[in-house]
This record gives sequence, C-alpha cells and structure tokens, in this order.
Amino acid sequence: MISQVFILSSQGDHLIYKDFRGEAGSDVVSVFYEKVTALTGDQPPVVMSHGDLHFVHVRQGGLYWVATTTSPGSSPFTIIEFLNRFSALVKDYCGSLSEKSVQMNFALIYELLDEVVDYGYIQTTSSDVLKNFIQTEAVSSKPFSLFDLSNVGFFGAETQQSKVAPSSAASRPIQSSREQGGRSEIFLDVIERMSVVIGSKGVVLKADVEGEVRVKCFMPSCSEMRIGLNEEFSIGKSQLRGYGAAVRVDECRFHQNVHLDEFHSNRVLRLCPSQGEQTVMQYQLSDDLPSAPPFRLFPTIERDSGGRLLMYLKLRCDLPSKSAAINVCATIPVPKGSVSLSQELSSPDQSAELKLQNRAIDWKIPRFIGGTQLSALFKLEVSGLSPSSLMEVGPVVLVFELPQLTVSGLQIRFLRLSPVQPAPSQRWIRYVTHSDSYILRL
Amino acid sequence: FLHDDLKEMLDSNKDSLKLEAMKRIVAMIARGKNASDLFPAVVKNVACKNIEVKKLVYVYLVRYAEEQQDLALLSISTFQRGLKDPNQLIRASALRVLSSIRVTIIVPIMMLAIKEAASDMSPYVRKTAAHAIPKLYSLDPEQKDQLIEVIEKLLADKTTLVAGSVVMAFEEVCPERIDLIHKNYRKLCNLLIDVEEWGQVVIINMLTRYARTQFLNPNMNESLLEEGNDKTFYGSDDDEDEEEEEEKKSEAPMPKRKPYVMDPDHRLLLRNTKPLLQSRNAAVVMAVAQLYFHLAPKVEVGVIAKALVRLLRSHSEVQYVVLQNVASMTIKRRGMFEPYLKSFYIRSTDPTQIKVLKLEVLTNLANETNISTILREFQTYIKSMDKDFVAATIQAIGRCATNIGEVRDTCLNGLVQLLSNRDELVVAESVVVIKKLLQMQPEKHSDIIKHMAKLTDNIQVPMARASILWLIGEYCEHVPKIAPDVLRKMAKSFTNEEDIVKLQIINLAAKTCVYSSIGKYLNQDYKYVLNLAKYDQNYDIRDRARFIRQLIVPTEKSGALSKYAKKLFLALKPAPVLESPFKDRDHFQLGSLSHLLNAKAGGYQELPDWPEAAPDPSVRNVEVKDSVPEWTKCSSREKRKEKKVEKPFYSDSEGESGPTESADSESDSASGSEIGSGVVGSVSGTASEESEEGSESEEEEEEEEEDEKDKKMTMKKELKKPVQENPREDDMRLTLSSLFPVEPAPSPQVTPLNSFLSNSLATDLEGLSLSDAVLSPATLSPCSALKSYELLHRIRGEGLSVEYCFSRQPFSPDANMVAVQMQFTNNATSETKNLHMEEVKLQSGMRVKEFPEIELLPAGETATAVMGIDFCDSTQAANFQLCTHTRKFFVSIQPPVGELMRPVFLTENEFKKEQGERF
Repeated sequence: MISQVFILSSQGDHLIYKDFRGEAGSDVVSVFYEKVTALTGDQPPVVMSHGDLHFVHVRQGGLYWVATTTSPGSSPFTIIEFLNRFSALVKDYCGSLSEKSVQMNFALIYELLDEVVDYGYIQTTSSDVLKNFIQTEAVSSKPFSLFDLSNVGFFGAETQQSKVAPSSAASRPIQSSREQGGRSEIFLDVIERMSVVIGSKGVVLKADVEGEVRVKCFMPSCSEMRIGLNEEFSIGKSQLRGYGAAVRVDECRFHQNVHLDEFHSNRVLRLCPSQGEQTVMQYQLSDDLPSAPPFRLFPTIERDSGGRLLMYLKLRCDLPSKSAAINVCATIPVPKGSVSLSQELSSPDQSAELKLQNRAIDWKIPRFIGGTQLSALFKLEVSGLSPSSLMEVGPVVLVFELPQLTVSGLQIRFLRLSPVQPAPSQRWIRYVTHSDSYILRL
Repeated sequence: FLHDDLKEMLDSNKDSLKLEAMKRIVAMIARGKNASDLFPAVVKNVACKNIEVKKLVYVYLVRYAEEQQDLALLSISTFQRGLKDPNQLIRASALRVLSSIRVTIIVPIMMLAIKEAASDMSPYVRKTAAHAIPKLYSLDPEQKDQLIEVIEKLLADKTTLVAGSVVMAFEEVCPERIDLIHKNYRKLCNLLIDVEEWGQVVIINMLTRYARTQFLNPNMNESLLEEGNDKTFYGSDDDEDEEEEEEKKSEAPMPKRKPYVMDPDHRLLLRNTKPLLQSRNAAVVMAVAQLYFHLAPKVEVGVIAKALVRLLRSHSEVQYVVLQNVASMTIKRRGMFEPYLKSFYIRSTDPTQIKVLKLEVLTNLANETNISTILREFQTYIKSMDKDFVAATIQAIGRCATNIGEVRDTCLNGLVQLLSNRDELVVAESVVVIKKLLQMQPEKHSDIIKHMAKLTDNIQVPMARASILWLIGEYCEHVPKIAPDVLRKMAKSFTNEEDIVKLQIINLAAKTCVYSSIGKYLNQDYKYVLNLAKYDQNYDIRDRARFIRQLIVPTEKSGALSKYAKKLFLALKPAPVLESPFKDRDHFQLGSLSHLLNAKAGGYQELPDWPEAAPDPSVRNVEVKDSVPEWTKCSSREKRKEKKVEKPFYSDSEGESGPTESADSESDSASGSEIGSGVVGSVSGTASEESEEGSESEEEEEEEEEDEKDKKMTMKKELKKPVQENPREDDMRLTLSSLFPVEPAPSPQVTPLNSFLSNSLATDLEGLSLSDAVLSPATLSPCSALKSYELLHRIRGEGLSVEYCFSRQPFSPDANMVAVQMQFTNNATSETKNLHMEEVKLQSGMRVKEFPEIELLPAGETATAVMGIDFCDSTQAANFQLCTHTRKFFVSIQPPVGELMRPVFLTENEFKKEQGERF
C-alpha cells in the first residue's frame, strides 16, 4: 500500500504532495530529490530506500512521480503500474503532462488522487468510473481551438474540412468536451516502433516491429465505434498468405473493451471507447517484415597516407518514393583520440558534427526521400591512429521517424461511429513509425 | 493577509468565490504549505450545497482534522447525516471522509458507521466500508475483534466490487486469520476474473499465501534429478522430500500409480488465474506469474514466460522489475525462457541498468546449444560506448566460459584479444576475468600470463594491476624468468601504487622468493620491497610485511613455520566459481519489494513452506445459506451452487492440458469435448471429466430413455434414507449420478425432479457440497457458472426487478432458440399484474418466443419464466418492451460471447471424429 504520493518537477520543486497514512513526514520529499540527483548513472534505480521507507518512482513528462511505501510485502509492480496509470489519468484530465499543466490544475489532481487512492489503497484508475466523481474542471494552459491555427503554415488550408490536424490537437483535457458539446472528436493513431539490427555484410540479423493502435476520444457520450483494418490482416505464422500484400503480425492483443465478433470475418474492431486515451490493439511482428528495412548503409573505412581516418558512408533509403523519413540522425562512434572532423556531404541541408564527449559523429538529415541515396565523406584527425583504431568505429545507430507510414502495412480502412452522431464529429487518423533501435553494424 | 482575503471569500454567499478560495487553499496543501489557520472558515462550508466546493472542503478536512480535533468535531454531524442520504455516492463519500478523520474521540461513531455500511444495499457503500476498516484499525487497534467480525461479514459478500477491498482490509488487519478464507476460497477464485484489477493483485497475493498453507507441493514427486542440479522447488532437503514421497505413496489409495493428486481447489486457483496473464495491468500479470511460479506443477509454469516477456515492451521501470524477477526465475527454470532468448537481446536505447539485467538473463540462459549465438551477441556489445555495460559484458563472457566447458578456450582467446583494446577499462576488466579463468587450468596458458606481464607497463587500473601480479606470483613456476623481472619493476614504483597493488607486490615478492629459494640474487628486491612496506602508511601493508618476513626469512624464533612456507604460499587454490548474483534470491516471494531489494525489508512475510500433509480440504465446502424455497422457485440462483459441481470433477487433474482451459473462450470448439454427458450444456468440458466419467455416463445415456417412474422411485427411496449419515462424498456422487441420469430437461422451470426434493434433503445435499447437477440434470457445466444479467433494475422498474440468465438448456419449443431464463422479483409494496412482452424489435433473421404472461406477481414475491431467442449466431441485442398492467419498460437482451449454444447429441465415435478435426 502507498504511504505518500508526490510529484516533483525536474528541478525538485514540490508540485503535489499527499500523505495517505501519516507514516512519514513531508521532509522525505527533499530526501528523495537528493537521492535522485546524487546518482550519476543515466537512470536512478526504480526503488530506493531511506530507512524503512521505500521510494518508487517513474519519470513521465519530465516530472518525477513518486510513491513511498513502508510495507515490504506490497508489490513494487503495483506501485509502478499505479504511477504510470496515474500520470496517464492526469494527462487525460489536464490535456498534457508538463510542470505547467500540473501547476495549473492542483485542485483537479488533488481531487483525482483523492478518488483514486484511499488510505494508501488503490481504488480504481478507470476513467469511466472516475468521471462520475470528478467535479473540478481542468484549466488548459492555452485554450485550444482547431480554428486557431495561426502558426500552422504547412498543415493545409484553414477550413473546417482541413485534412490535417496539428499534432497538438489531441493534447487537451477530456472533460472540456462536456461544455463545448458540438466538438466531438476522435483521434486514432497507428504507431509502430522498429528495432532492426543489420550485420556488417548487409544481412538483416533481427527485425522487430511493435505496433499499437491508440484511440483518444473526446466524445461526450460514448457511442459505438467500428475500426476496419486491412481485410488481409492475419495473425500468426500458420495462416496462408495470399498473393496480395497480406498484412501479417505474429501476435496481437486487444483492449478488454474491444468486441471481436466481427474481427474474424471482416477484420473490424468494435468498441465503445471511454473518454481519454486508450490502446485498442497492440501487435508485434518479428523477423519477417513485409518490406525491406528502410535504411541500408554502405561504408568504406580506411586510413589515408596523412594518418587520417577516412570514412565514406553511403546511406540508402529503401522506402517507396512517395514517402520520406524525417529527422534522421545517424550516430557513428569514432576511435578514441579523435580530434577534429572535416566533412563532405552530398546535399546542403544535411549536417554533421563531431561530439567529443560521446566520441561519435552525429550526421543529421532533416528529410530523406524514399528511393534516394545520400553520401558523406568524413575525414577524421585521430591522434595515435593505429590499425586497431579501425576496429573501434562501432555500430551506427539510426534514429528516424516515418510519417504516414506503417512498416507492417497495417491500414485503417474506415472509422465509423454508430449510431451516427447528431453533432458533426471529426475523426483523425495518423500513422507513424519510429525507430526504436536501428543498428547498422560495420 | 492573503489568508484574510481567503476567509472573506469563504464567508461569501457566492459559490464561485468559495470555489476559487478552496482551489487556492488546496493548491497550498498540494505544495506542502501550511493552511491550518483557515480551519474554522473552511469547516463551515462542509454543508455547502455545491458539490465541487464540498469535495475540496473534504480534502482540506482530511488533511487537517487531526491537528484541530475540536473544530473537526463540528463537521461530524454533517457526515452522520450524509450516511443516511438516499444517494449511494453521498453515503459512500460521507463514510470515506468520516473514516479518514483521525480523531480518537469519534471511534465509536466510526465503528457504528462501518457496521451499518457493511450491510448497506449498495455494493459501492459496502466497498467503502471495507476501505474504512484499516483506517479505523490504525486509529484504534483495540477495535480489532469487532473489525474482524465486519471483515468476516464482508468476505461473504458476493459482489466483485467488494471482494478486492475486503481482502485488502483482511491483509492489513488480520492476515493471520487464514481460517476466515476457507469458506470464501472458492467464491474468491471464481469471482477473481471480474474483480477490479487492483483488487485482483491483492487477492492473488493473498491466495498464494493461502495455497501454500493449505495444499501439498505439486512438485514433490518430480524426479529430483530431472532438470540438472535443479532440486525441489523450495530447496528443502532431499531426504525430507523422499520421506514425504514415501509417505504419500503408502497413503495413496489410487489404483494407478499416481501418488500425488492435486487438490481440486488448488487446480481451481491455477485455472482461474491463468486468463489473467492477459491482463493489461502489469501488476496483475506479475502477481499471476509469481503465483504460478510458487504454486504450479513444474510442467505448467512455462505459461508465464510469454506473459512476462510481453511485459518487457512496457515502460523501462516495469522492464527493470520484470527483468529482476526473470533473472531469478531463469536460475531455477532455465528451460522456460529459452524460446524467448532473442527478447533479451540488448537494444542500443536501453538504459544501463536494463542492459546489465538482460546480460544477466542471457548468461543464465546460456547452454551448449545456444552459447555460440550468445557469444556473437556479446561480441557486438563490447563495442558499445557505455563502459559499465562493456564491463558487465566481459564479466558475463567470463561466467559463460566457466559454466560451459566447451567454449572456455574460445572465450579466453576473445578476452585476450580484448587486452589490446585501446580502452583501459575494457582491458582492466578483461584482466580480472582472465585471471579467474586461468585459475582453472593455468599450465596450458603460460603465454597468456607472459602477455599479461607486459601489460603492467600500461595498465593503470589498480584492480587489473593487482590481478596481473597475483597471477604472475601464483604461477611463477610457469614463468620462472619473468616473475623476478616484474618484481624488480614493481619494486621501483612501489611507493606510488594503490594499496591493493602494494599487497600483491608483497605477495609476488614472497612467492618468487619461496619458489626460487635457491637463487639468492632475488633477495635484494625482496628485502627492498619489505623495507618499503615496513614504513608504509597503511597498517594492513605493514602487517603483511611483518608476517611474511617471519615466514620467509628464518630466524631462531620462527623456525618451525618457515619450513612450510612453500606449502603455505604455493598451495593449490580452488578456482573461483562465478555465480549469478540472483542465485539465492528466490527465497523471497517473487514480485515482492524484498525480492527487488534482495534484502528482507522490515515486516516482510515469508511465504510459508508447503505443509507436509494436506490440511482438511473439507473446510472449504460451503453450506449455502439461502433458504431452499427461494431457489426452487428462482433457478437463476443455480449459478452459485453450480460452482460446487466442480469439486468432484477436478480430482483428476494430471491429465488436463491446454485445450480444456482455452475452451472457455471458444464456445464452439468446446462442444465436442463433452460427449459423455450426452447433452452439451456447457462451454467448458474438461478432458479429465471425460476420462473419469466416460464409461459411467455412457450408461446413463442408455438409461436415459427409460421410464421416469423408476427414477422417481429411487428418488423416493433416497428421500427416506436418512442422509444425515453423511456418507463419503465420492460414493454419494456416484450413486446419485447413476440415480438421476442425464436427461434433456424440457424446460428449466421447476422440473418434476425438483418438486420431489424436500427442503431437508436439499439442504443435506448441499451440506455434502454436492452439485445441483442432480437437480437440473442438463447443466453439467463444471467450471463456468451461469451468470445472471440485469434486465431491469429495481429502481428503474419502480419496484420490479428482472434478471435473466442463459440457462444453457435446450429450449423445447424450438431447437434453434436459446433459452433465456428470467427471474421477476417484485420489490414494490403493491402487486404487479399482467407481466408480458410487447413490441419486439429484432435484427433481420432473429426470432423470439415470448414467455407466457405472468398474471399476478404479489409484492415481495419472485417468479421465473423462460423465453427463447434465436440470435442467428450473432451478438445483436433483442429489444422489446416489458409491460405490466401500468407501465412499459424498454429492455434489451444481448448475448455475451459463449452463451450461444445448443445441445448436440453425438455418439462416441462421432465425438472422437469431431475432436480429431478440431484439435
């Protein structure tokens, strides 16, 4: 059971503090902050002890969410899971997670905490149950309106029929929909994360995709929603694949509210979404990707006569030519003793920089159109260059984002609400693939 | 002065001002500032009509009541009034706040409130009462006995909402009163899946402890040598186990050689928790995983691996804790995670602590077959930029090399290559690991030792230097020329070395000296080192120097020992064993905080050891308290009793496997598995049931067509027989089931059989924990209970409440229809007339057979009726109006998945054929 819950900003300011059982004083907040900041590692341990008191914390939205407990029998899992759920609830109710949004909604968060935890026992974290109890209105840091898109140049025409909503559209409090009855919206995200390892000879050693379909619902009243997936969608390896481009996943899990009665015949998910954000479906696909991995690297590394290390890198993007990767960043580890870098890049919008503290070159490509190839020549000044230095040029890590694209090929055929809403409802669908861990070994 | 301003706002008449003030005050509390001087002003508003203000006042009150007890008492009457409010939410919230006010003087009021709330008709209020129990207990522990009474009462509650909360209270107030659980054990198991997720965690943990005290170790008969050095589950002595085993064998009355039979209740727990592995709450998954790990037979534990691996895709904090637990499990049960080896490969984005844990798991999983893959993976990790991680990888390679003899040389070569790495930390770590590996077979590797001797010029890391010196000293016989040279060099730099290096220099000096006792030329270096050490600042070093001098330089006084100097210094030393830091962690309950910290945190409750002999299982048998007349009328209550059918069927648990359990979700695939009983009335037949009952029920089938008279006769006989004798359960079951053969009951309403049963017989039967399979013969559904759904709530229906359930019996007027059994209860004060259906609205293809009109339902009475619906295999709802003589109610029935079924007759051969196709 939980003894206290508190939220700290990354600077250690006390944002929320609530004591449930009176087992420890409020001074432990500063004890916690000292402990967290005293550690040098990249991540402090999830559980830390201070006498009989144990701190469990997670980091979400740049804030520390901390719970303390004195009872050793309680499962740390429960507390971690609770903190994650609680931060998700706060996000739902306040619109976004930040120091500012928490500060502006003290009363609301306090009320939430009051309903969610009673005397250290978690009562419920379901937003469906909570909406009956929560009275306080959220204060948004900036009242959001779709028409107030002054800063959106490339998002298209500013009409109601605009095809694209800004990515911040979904970060607003779920409760506000109560008042502004007309604006009911549904955001549906298909998010995939790739982790790929490509060996030095270009062999794909490992390729995994984890995906999820997420719904954020701002419907005042819950009506039934039907999500149509690709008709050729299949789960598991055993099923026969047709000649067409079947979409296959290894494993698939659904949210407990999803009715699957139409899934087997038509690949339609039925659900009554509750307000706020929820993951409708999670799936995963390993090793057998429907298309080639999006990036290949062709490196040549040698020493030149002047005692410099020459790296000639060709990076090819194997996406279809209509799509593009954005915010691509390749991190190339360099040998110890690297001093300076001179570079020749194939186009002016790219940039490269030698980060001495990381001992790596960051090669940044803001936009990489499918089917093209970029090259870079890096000349490294390395003090004490030896043959073994070549060995130290480590695996290249790529970070990128593929908008409007799913690697698995999953598409949403339709998103219908039934019965049809009286008020106009807006439905937004977004696809995006992120790199989770994309490694090209040299 | 800010506060004056707030006080003014609180005193105003406008709710908006009050609200604003309260928000600011709560913000102060949230930030940890003191707002206690506002107490009088705030407490006045406790009766405020505005619910938003009211809630914030509650927040304030709970925070400061303890400090301002006298003033707080002013608010009590408001809450007492709230406790009588017709709105359940207000009652609950009043109780919650009242119980949170930590003022000793109101203990009696709280006690009274809790007792009343515990019998409130709203489950939400009862749940709040359960939550209030630990609060009162911490305020005044002397109330314990009274509170235990309330807990006992609430434990018997049948709603899922209450179950989780009352178990929380139980765990806090009286975890030692395990006897309170007996009667509720089966109910808790069956309710578990519908309980709120946080409640599930608490219940599962409690049941784990319960099961460890009440059931026998399912692994006690496993051959102890089956899985390598894997001994018994719980590390008890072999002897003990064998004894147990023998005892068990002699006791066991089984005809087949099955010395261990799992208690059906044990099986019930395992079966009912398994689906929860799919929960999206990581805490629930982990709770089930630890339950399986601690309670399940070895062969079944494997199911948790997949669920745990799935958790690895969660937040990094969750990953961290999962990996800790997986690391512990991999030591005892390696095979379980082997298929998921790849899931533990490290990603470049993992934080260091996750990487290190994954390495640990990979190392534990390494065996002869997969070691080459793992080593290749390790090789790439060494290139990582994260130095701590690289060091951990090198240690992991070392551990693989010691554990798996085949790859020792490969690993050693790889590590030696690392010695030429440009990173000093990598080299240092490799030296340390190589040192350990070399100790296993030093004679083969003198060239490696030579190579390492050269490194002393470059390596600065003290631990590595010390390791090299130790190696050279220890194996100076293999490198007789090099050792003195190294010593000479070291002697020069002695004063600048770290303490551990200095100690090793002294060691090296002593060993070379002893080894080459003939060569006097050494003496100079040796004496020089000892002299330096004599005046060292560190007293350990001075001490060591003095000690060694006495041993090696013989004087008159110490002659005796110096003879043995060679034996002392150059004795054969056992090679180190590289062990996992997780080796002994599993004596802590997995998933607990103590396990995570690897230390017994204060107040940690050890998981009890299995009992030697099983305690009496009959304590869990439940006597149904509902009066018999009630249930003969309303057979929807069958649901509850039907759970008891399970008992006899479970007894053969060994043969049970996957398909039966998965059958719960796939209604149609299960229909094949129950041929024995003739009528397929349930979703989940168990294979064991079939094997046990197969022959018996075939006979039943033959008998089936026989005249009913016979049956009634035997019934009568049975009635006359004094049942109080309590014959053995098993016999009883057998006789009864052959007495009342299965028949396709024409309607689930009061059957002729039921009418025969007098109250006394019925209660006696229940006392024996017999099923009502006897009473409603067609429903042989061993593990899923009939669930009843609410059609019309008492309040909406102005006193008339209607529940319905899918009775899973054939609907005689039309075989394609599903029988829906409705139970009407008139809670109003006046009678209801002409209950009937109207305006049925259906999707195309669906049909409905209306239930016969109920002419009169007097106040307080209950009636049942059956209607048939053909849902056309869809889950579309059937909408209709339920009419009384005064009112009409719109209602709809939607079949849950798994309830659409119809009975099918199959011969055994047909069944086998079907079964072959499906599985």
